[in-house]
Amino acid sequence: MPRALITGITGQDGSYLTELLLEKGYEVHGMVRRTSSLERSRLVHLYRDSTIYGQRLFLHYADLDDPTTIRRVLMTVEPDELYHLAGQSHVGLSFEIPESTCDLTAMGTLRLLEMVQDMRKKPRFFHAASSEIFGQPAQMPQDENTPFAPVNPYGCAKTFAAHMVTIYRKTFGHFAVNGIMYNHESPRRGENFVTRKICRAAAAIQLGQQKDLLLGDTSAKRDWGYAPDYVRGMWLSLQHATAEDYIFATGKLHSVQDVVETAFAAMNLDWRQHVRKDNRLLRPAEPQRLQGNPAKARRLLNWEVSVTFKQMIEDMTKTEHAQLAGA
Amino acid sequence: MSKKALVTGITGQDGSYLAELLLAKGYEVHGIIRRASSFNTQRLEHIYSDPHSPKHKLILHYGDLSDASGLSRLIGKIQPDEVYNLAAQSHVRVSFDAPEYTADIVGTGTIRLLEAIREVGIKPRFYQASSSEMYGKVMEVPQTETTPFYPRSPYACAKVYSYWITVNYRESYGLHASNGILFNHESPRRGETFVTRKITRAVAAIKLGRQDKLFLGNIDSKRDWGFAKEYVEAMWLMLQQPEPDDYVIATGETHSVREFLEVSFGHLGLDWKKHVEIDPRYYRPAEVDLLIGDPSKAKEKLGWVPKVTFTELAKLMVDADLKDLQDQLAGKVAHSE
Repeated sequence: MPRALITGITGQDGSYLTELLLEKGYEVHGMVRRTSSLERSRLVHLYRDSTIYGQRLFLHYADLDDPTTIRRVLMTVEPDELYHLAGQSHVGLSFEIPESTCDLTAMGTLRLLEMVQDMRKKPRFFHAASSEIFGQPAQMPQDENTPFAPVNPYGCAKTFAAHMVTIYRKTFGHFAVNGIMYNHESPRRGENFVTRKICRAAAAIQLGQQKDLLLGDTSAKRDWGYAPDYVRGMWLSLQHATAEDYIFATGKLHSVQDVVETAFAAMNLDWRQHVRKDNRLLRPAEPQRLQGNPAKARRLLNWEVSVTFKQMIEDMTKTEHAQLAGA
Repeated sequence: MSKKALVTGITGQDGSYLAELLLAKGYEVHGIIRRASSFNTQRLEHIYSDPHSPKHKLILHYGDLSDASGLSRLIGKIQPDEVYNLAAQSHVRVSFDAPEYTADIVGTGTIRLLEAIREVGIKPRFYQASSSEMYGKVMEVPQTETTPFYPRSPYACAKVYSYWITVNYRESYGLHASNGILFNHESPRRGETFVTRKITRAVAAIKLGRQDKLFLGNIDSKRDWGFAKEYVEAMWLMLQQPEPDDYVIATGETHSVREFLEVSFGHLGLDWKKHVEIDPRYYRPAEVDLLIGDPSKAKEKLGWVPKVTFTELAKLMVDADLKDLQDQLAGKVAHSE
């Protein structure tokens, strides 16, 4: 049975990846931080299943800034594949906590690479890089050769980490992959991300639990995909014969406004009556024009997206509605 | 009242030249030094005066780029008009042996400093010591301010991070923050483990019969080598501009280590081929390509032009090391000047 170790297993991507790997017959290990509240809502359905948890799914306490513990977990688990998804992943928040963003996102990646360097049997390594490394790119759409030009502390830290991954691949021959992930959403997206915030608000407004929604700049456009498709890309990239960097994106742009209109329409609401602008939510330096070209992933990995933007936003809004109605 | 400058890395080659320059321009100069059990301030001794003297304008503080609260306390206390971030684990080969430490100081250290400035709420002009190593596997020759980066060492990866975070604080918070992308710059104060200084010290020792062999790594690697003392002037000039910007500081010429050997051994009438041996242990795991900087923008905007040539540089370094060693053998105190 192949063994995988996931950092960031409690996140959106980590939980989908866990499901995918369990389905493919892996033994899955995850690293979790100790917190006073048990923040594992995304894993709870697996955690409570006694045929899975403790049998094929194992969680270990380890912080990315605690190298001795991570080293111990790595040496004990001896994974065949290591998926490094953990990070302070909120761009807006990276302006509030830039130092710990750098420490966890960049230094955390480097520490893992250093430990892998010392392992006798080196796992294949997947690093979840981000389209934010392109910042305000000179070319559109971006591909694997587009120069990095980050414009926020999160993007700077991810650039740092992606460069390090490349060094360990090219200099030391590690099987180390950067997956340059464009925005990817799902009902499990963190509640402070804009898509989830909008879908949740539309559902809550429909149920009469909320009146308005405050948003920053709604003209900002993103390349938004569906998270389960993106974790499939992660897995595929480690099954390929050689380690490469890949863009994972839809290649299509939609604005925040499109999210608003789709989500409110799914709830049969008129967004104009509920959405208000709030300039405090504007980011200091807003990246634009992030649109990925996934041709390489399609060519080498046969990777395709399975749902449209509209289907995804509708699904997210309806899932919220069901949850809020049941609560 | 005189302007106040804060320099990290003040005990290094560039820091000491910059401190001299700023003192000559009438600044009050503050430097951050790390505590170590052996003194690390040799390069500053000649400009350091008694702290009780009224003319005392060079003030050293204990601190470390790994210590965030110490940094913000110092910035709050000094309230500098200009901050020069020169501190680093600056040895590329060593960054492969100690990547995490290198990344912490060279990368994260910069954001700690920028955050300390933001926290204190002052807006000093900020200089970030960026490096030609960021170009690594070069995307074009010569390199300019718009050449994309392709770092090839942990040191370079960390410098790229610091470059971008500096740009980011300029764009996000309106900080007068500039990157000087400095190509190799040498001097008699260059660290003794760097290839140029290693060579000129060996030339002096061989000339005086104290050494016979010199072991080196890749002598075919080529660099754009300038004189450090001139490069720190460019740093200062960048912070005097009305607008912050990024500048390549280089000579625009490239020379191999082999050429450096020829000039420096030749200067004292020696044949390098009789003394130099290659030791693959000094090879870098990944070598960078042809680094040549195009300093046109610095010339046009800052009026900065390098004057000391490659040959003059090698010779002045050999002369200084020869004098140092002679003084040392004569029982005088060795002194880098």
